[in-house]
Amino acid sequence: MKDLKHLLYFENLLQSAHNELITQAQNEGKICVAYVCENTPEPLMNLGNAFGVRLFAPQTGSMDIATYYMTSLLCETSRALLERAIEGGFNFADCIIAPDGCTMMNRAVENMELLKTMGQGKSKFFHQYMEIPLKGDENGVQLAVLQCTNHILNPLHEAYGIDISDASIRKSVEEHNKVCRLIRAIGDYRKGDKPRITGYEFHVLTLATYVAPKYLLIDKLEETLRELKTRKPDGKGYRARVMVVGSEGDDGGFIKLIEDTGAFVCADRFCFGSLPGRDPIELNDDEDALTQVCRAYTYRSQCPRMMNMEKVYGRKEYVSDIAKEYGADGIIYEQIKFCDPWAYERMLGSVMLRDDYGYPVLSVDRPYNISSSIGQMRTRVQAFVESIEIKKLRGGEK
Amino acid sequence: METIVGKERVGEKELGVLFDGGKVRKRREWRGLKDTLYDYARWLYIMSILAKFIAKPRNIKAMFRYRWMANYLATPHMVDKFTMGLRDEALRIVHTSMDFVVYDVASTLDNIFKGDRRTGNDTEFSKRCVLTDENAMTAFMMGFPNVKAILREVPCMFVANLLTQYSSTHYLDVAQQFGLAGDVCPMPEAEAGVSIDDDFAVLGCCAVQVNTTCDGSLMGNGLIAKRLEREYGIPTFQLVAPMRHREPDVQKYAAEDMKKAIAFVEEHTGQKWDWNYYFDSARRVNDATRKRMAWLEINSTPYPQFVGAPFSLYNDTNYMGNCGRSKLFPPVDAKILKYAEKGYREKKMMAREYRHRAIIWGVQPQYCIDMLNWMVHCWGIVPLTDMLSMINTRMIAEDDTPENREQAYYDMAWLNENMIMRNRTHGGYKVLVDELWEFCDKMGADMVIMWEHMSCKALTGMHGQFEEQARERGIHLVWVCHDLCDPRVFTRQAIRNQLNDYMRTVMREEPLDPSIEILPDENAW
Repeated sequence: MKDLKHLLYFENLLQSAHNELITQAQNEGKICVAYVCENTPEPLMNLGNAFGVRLFAPQTGSMDIATYYMTSLLCETSRALLERAIEGGFNFADCIIAPDGCTMMNRAVENMELLKTMGQGKSKFFHQYMEIPLKGDENGVQLAVLQCTNHILNPLHEAYGIDISDASIRKSVEEHNKVCRLIRAIGDYRKGDKPRITGYEFHVLTLATYVAPKYLLIDKLEETLRELKTRKPDGKGYRARVMVVGSEGDDGGFIKLIEDTGAFVCADRFCFGSLPGRDPIELNDDEDALTQVCRAYTYRSQCPRMMNMEKVYGRKEYVSDIAKEYGADGIIYEQIKFCDPWAYERMLGSVMLRDDYGYPVLSVDRPYNISSSIGQMRTRVQAFVESIEIKKLRGGEK
Repeated sequence: METIVGKERVGEKELGVLFDGGKVRKRREWRGLKDTLYDYARWLYIMSILAKFIAKPRNIKAMFRYRWMANYLATPHMVDKFTMGLRDEALRIVHTSMDFVVYDVASTLDNIFKGDRRTGNDTEFSKRCVLTDENAMTAFMMGFPNVKAILREVPCMFVANLLTQYSSTHYLDVAQQFGLAGDVCPMPEAEAGVSIDDDFAVLGCCAVQVNTTCDGSLMGNGLIAKRLEREYGIPTFQLVAPMRHREPDVQKYAAEDMKKAIAFVEEHTGQKWDWNYYFDSARRVNDATRKRMAWLEINSTPYPQFVGAPFSLYNDTNYMGNCGRSKLFPPVDAKILKYAEKGYREKKMMAREYRHRAIIWGVQPQYCIDMLNWMVHCWGIVPLTDMLSMINTRMIAEDDTPENREQAYYDMAWLNENMIMRNRTHGGYKVLVDELWEFCDKMGADMVIMWEHMSCKALTGMHGQFEEQARERGIHLVWVCHDLCDPRVFTRQAIRNQLNDYMRTVMREEPLDPSIEILPDENAW
C-alpha cells in the first residue's frame, strides 16, 4: 500500500518519551501529567490546562541501573521506565500519578520517587499513588471516585489550579471521545479481507494518542482517516489474520515482526491498546461526570488484576468476541517477561481460547524491546502462521 | 552488639554429630536427662496425633489418593528441626507452639477428608464448610460458629513444604507444562499446579478467595476458581483487600466488600451471622495481639525467648488461620508467655553465646525454614522477630454495641488487609523499608537477615533501596537469596552458605559450632 502521509510524523513522535508535542504543549503553558497504568482515567488528566501522557521508554537498551534497584526478575517495562527516569528522560513531567495496580509498576514509581529522578526545578511537582478497583462492581466505582478525587483532581487543583469542575470533566471527555472515535474508525479499516491499514501502522497511531497531548493530534488523525477512505488496499492477501492480546506493546517492532512473517495483526487487546482503551465514554446528564467516567473505566476494564469471576471469564469472552468481529484466524497471547498478572492470564487465556473457543493460540513472552530477541520470536511466529495456513489448506476449523 | 556468654550447656555440644546425610537425623539429641525426657515425651505426643489421624480409613484412603499426603510422614522430623540445640524454656516454648500447630493442621486435614467427595464424602458436613485460600485471613468467618473455614491450600502446599523440601516440585512442573511462566512466585504457582493436577480435596458449599498476598496469588485464583465452579459446582466469591492498606480512603471499599463476603457465606451455608460469637472472637483476637506484643517486648531485651520459625509459624496459624475463632488458642498463648517470662527472668539462652541481634526481613524459604535456629547455634545470631510476625497491633472493637457492629466490618477488613506478609510487601515502601529501620532501632538489632525470595517482585522491587539505606544506617544487611519452595534453584546449603560467607568474609568471625556450618541435608526430608 502507499505510505500513509503522516506515518513518519507519528513514528517520530514515538522516538522519545519527551516528544515535540509535549514540548509544544508545555510552551503553551500547559501542565504535563505523567501516568503509567491503563486504569488511570485519561480524561481526568486532560482537564483545563493539563494534559496526560503515558510514560514509556522507546529505544531501551541497557537496564543495568534499574536492575540493580529492582533485580533482574522484575517486569522489563517497569525496569525500562525506571532506567529512563534515572537517565533523566522523564524530567519533563510536572507530576506523576501511579495507581497501585500491578506491583512492579508501583515499585518502579516508588523508586523514581526515592531516587528523586523527576521534578528537578519544579517546585510544585508531586507523586500520587492511588488504589484501583479489583472488581467490576459499584463498590469499585465508589472507590474509583474517591481515589480520583483524592489523588488526581484535588492534587491537580491544589498544585496547579486546574479546573476540576463537572463542566471541565465533560469537556475533557468530549475531546477524549473525539480521539477515541477517530482511532476506532481508523481501526475499523482492519476488518474485512482487504484491510486498508496495517496492524503496525494502526499501532503507531494508537500509541501516539497515549504518549502525546491528544488535542495536538486530532487534525492529523482526521486527515489520516480521510486518507484511509480512499486508500487502495494491497492486492495480495495475508497468510493469516491474528489478534494480539497481552501486556503493553510500547514497541511497534513486535507488531512489525509479526507482520513481516506475512501475517496481519487485525486486532489489539493489550494494556494501552485500542480495545477497549479507545472505547468512547458516553455521558448522560443524570449523574455527575466523574462518577460516570469512573464507572466506564471500572466496568470496561480488561486488566488481568480484575479478580471477580465475571471479569475472569469475561476477559476470554471479550477476546473471542473481538477475534470474531475482526475476523482473526488465530490469537497471539504475549506477555512482557516477568509480568505476573499477564503470566497467569496468558496461561489461562491461551488454554481457554483454544479449548473453549476453538482458536489456534500462540503463547509467548517477550522482552520490552523486541530487538533483543528478534530471531527467536520470528521463528515462533512463523511456525504459528504456518500452522494456521496448513489448517486452512486442509479445510479444518479455526 | 556486645557478646553475651551464657552458662555451660548440658548435653550435646557439637550438633553436627546428629547428621549423616540421610532423610532424618542419625539419632535423637542428648539434652541432659530432664530435657531429653521432655523432648521424647513430646515426640511421642506427636506420634499419637499421627496415629489417631491415620486410624481413620478415610485418611488412609486420602494417603493413597493425594500425592502431597506422603509428606506428612515427616512431621516428627519437622519438629525436631525446630528444637535442635534447645534446652529449658526455649525447648518448651517451641514444643508448646509447634505441637499445637501440628495438632491444628491434623484437625484441618481430618476435616478436609471428612468432607472430601473422594474420601470421607460426608455431604452434610461438607455443606457447612467454606473453602478459602492459603493466604486468607479468616476474619470473614468470625461470626459463623457452626461453619468450618477450610484453608484448603495450607496442608497440600504451605505445610507440605515445611515438612519435606521437594514437596512442591512436581506441582511446579505441572503448572509450567500447562503454560505458566517459570519466574512467578512458586507458592501460588504450585497451588495452581495442584489444581491443574486435580489434586485438591473437593468439598465445601462455596469458596471465598482473596487477593492476599500478591499479584501471583491473586492471579492463580482464577484458574482454581474455574475448576471449582465449572467442574465441581462450588461457587466462589473474590474478597478484595486494597493494596494501599494504610490509607484511610480505601477502608470503606474493603469494609463494603467484607459485607458482601459475609452475605455470600450466609447465602450458601444457610447460616446467620452471630454477633455474640463475633465479639467473642474479637476479644480473642485482641488477646492474641496483646500476647504477641508481650513476646516482642521480651525479644527486645538481651534475652529473647520466643523467636525464629516457630514464632512466625505459630503467629501465622493463630493470627490468620484462627483469627480468634477457636477457644483453644488463648490457653496456648498464655502458656507460651509464662515460659517466655520465666526464661527472661532467669536469663535463659538458646545457645551458649549471643553475638548479634538480627531482624529477619523478607519472605522465608519454606524448605529451609529451620535456618533461623541453625543460625543461633552456628553463628550466635539471635533472630528477634521476622517480617511475617510484624502484623496488626491495633485493638479491634470487642463490645457488642450498634456502633461497633458497623465498626466490625472495618475491623475485619483491616485484619484482612493486614494479612501476614502482604501488610509489609504491599502498601507502599514505607511499610516495607522505612518501618524495618524503626524496628531495628526499637529492638536493638545490629543486623538484618534479608530473605530475598527471588520471585517475590514486591520485595525485590526495593532491593537497591534496602541496600543503600542499610549502608547509610551502618546496619549489616545480609542477603540470603532463595526461591521460596523450589530447592532446585537454591539448595539448603546454598542458602546457608550466603550467611556463612558473610560471617567469615565481612564480619571475620568463626562459627560457634563449626560442626554445623555445612550440613549434609540435601537429601533430608
